[in-house]
Amino acid sequence: MYKKMTRITCIAVFLSASTLLNATDLTKAYSMPDASKMIEKDLLKPAQKFTMPKECVSTDKDSLARGEYIFHNLNGKKAKATPPTGLAKFIEKKDKNGKVVKKPKQYGNCVACHNIEDAKGGGNIGPDLSNYKTIFMDTKVRDNAFVYQKIADARIDVPNTHMTINLTTGLFNEQEICDLTSYIVSEKK
Amino acid sequence: MKKLLLPFALVVTMAYSGEQFAMSDADKAMYEEMLENNPADIYVESGGELFEELGGEEALIKFLGTTEKELPKYIAGFPRYIKKLGNVVGIDQVLQAMQVEQGKKATKLKSEDMFSMLAYVKSLANDEQFTIDITADKHIKASYALGKKTFDTPRGGRGLSCLSCHSKDIVGMILRTQPLPDLGEAGAGATWPAYRMTKSSLRSIQRRFQGCMNNALLKVIPIGSKEMVGLEVYISTLAQEKKKAIAIPGLKR
Ligand code: HEC
Ligand code: HEC
Repeated sequence: MYKKMTRITCIAVFLSASTLLNATDLTKAYSMPDASKMIEKDLLKPAQKFTMPKECVSTDKDSLARGEYIFHNLNGKKAKATPPTGLAKFIEKKDKNGKVVKKPKQYGNCVACHNIEDAKGGGNIGPDLSNYKTIFMDTKVRDNAFVYQKIADARIDVPNTHMTINLTTGLFNEQEICDLTSYIVSEKK
Repeated sequence: MKKLLLPFALVVTMAYSGEQFAMSDADKAMYEEMLENNPADIYVESGGELFEELGGEEALIKFLGTTEKELPKYIAGFPRYIKKLGNVVGIDQVLQAMQVEQGKKATKLKSEDMFSMLAYVKSLANDEQFTIDITADKHIKASYALGKKTFDTPRGGRGLSCLSCHSKDIVGMILRTQPLPDLGEAGAGATWPAYRMTKSSLRSIQRRFQGCMNNALLKVIPIGSKEMVGLEVYISTLAQEKKKAIAIPGLKR
């Protein structure tokens, strides 16, 4: 009888000890990394109205070539052809430790959503930009400033646009927006 | 009968394909092997073995405080609030907590082993519909809201949100040769982990989210973060609304 008792107590003690062990705090026993700060830093700034620089839109051969290249390519790593004068394949950027690293230059990949002359695998989320000069410019439905603003920040006239935001985000500089504008409004062969 | 037919069919197809694409002996061997072992199944199987090391279903049932009968429906309710973990978590995070409780090292969330284990455990709920109740408690309510907010928020180099490409009005339109899927109708929540053929590997849905973020130049946020778990809750409820049954492992382009 006595022996049996101790055995039961022993088991009881063992059980409660293991429940105690089991009751270890598990709230830190798995990873849940913080992403809120990453998102905070990555947020899109409010819609911005831009003034088109003087002599922005031109028929300069290099500018048109850059516009075309940016329109049809995704980035310097994916692009096959050599970029035209004034456009790099890779750019140097400082990483978070201040070290300079080479990164592929991002382009527009506008063909992902828009068809245009000579587009390969053009998408249809955005309007077809083929014959843009004849249909929209010569008829004065659009002007250079409209196209410039649309590429720079499309939200000014379409607040919930599906289009990419290219100048407010700093993805491109003014010159590159001018190159794209020049290309779209130009007469294509 | 079936056993006899298969090799016969194989011989016929190989003979035919031989005319068009000359196959090396090595290629033939690989082809035969692929027919016998669907790549996704190998991962799920190895996930099952890793899960056994943790005590398998029995241990999971005990950890979650459910029953054998209720387990599939319970799994179909993930991501969900687990009181002793203090958060809305994915199945992968539950597995980590089980490992730590057993004095083992937690498998990294972003690892092949974890994707495999996750696929195995979620496959226990195959044929079930999601049982996520976003009104069950304030935690899941907040997680859903955070997921939806994360989905709708434009950010990154091109100022895009998930919604930019996954809103109802552009479903089926073409983005660079790819039709945009309706994430609910495609049952995205119910078909990941999936074998992604273009990546030749098994990946979880949160890993898939990272793929879209990376392509669209959104800063890639870590798997397991509150925002990622929230996104998984949100996307899973889209499959739930369309009554899509869980079917793991999925097979994707
Ligand atoms: C993710 C899809 C998407 C991408 C990528 C995209 N666009 Fe668009 N684009 C749209 C949509 C949708 C519209 C129509 C809505 C609007 O005007 O905001 C549009 C409208 C336009 C228009 C206005 C056409 C008109 O006359 O109304 C121009 C010009 C344009 N895009 C140029 C570009 C250029 C240049 C790029 C690349 C830098 C680009 N788009 C990338 C979706 C896209
Ligand atoms: C620039 C456009 C774009 C953006 C932005 C985008 N996606 Fe996608 N997403 C796509 C395309 C295109 C596909 C289909 C790709 C394919 O067929 O493999 C896709 C596929 C998916 C799938 C897989 C669907 C399936 O069949 O199972 C998921 C899940 C997904 N996206 C979630 C997201 C989330 C979450 C975000 C935001 C973090 C996001 N996407 C942002 C274009 C986008």
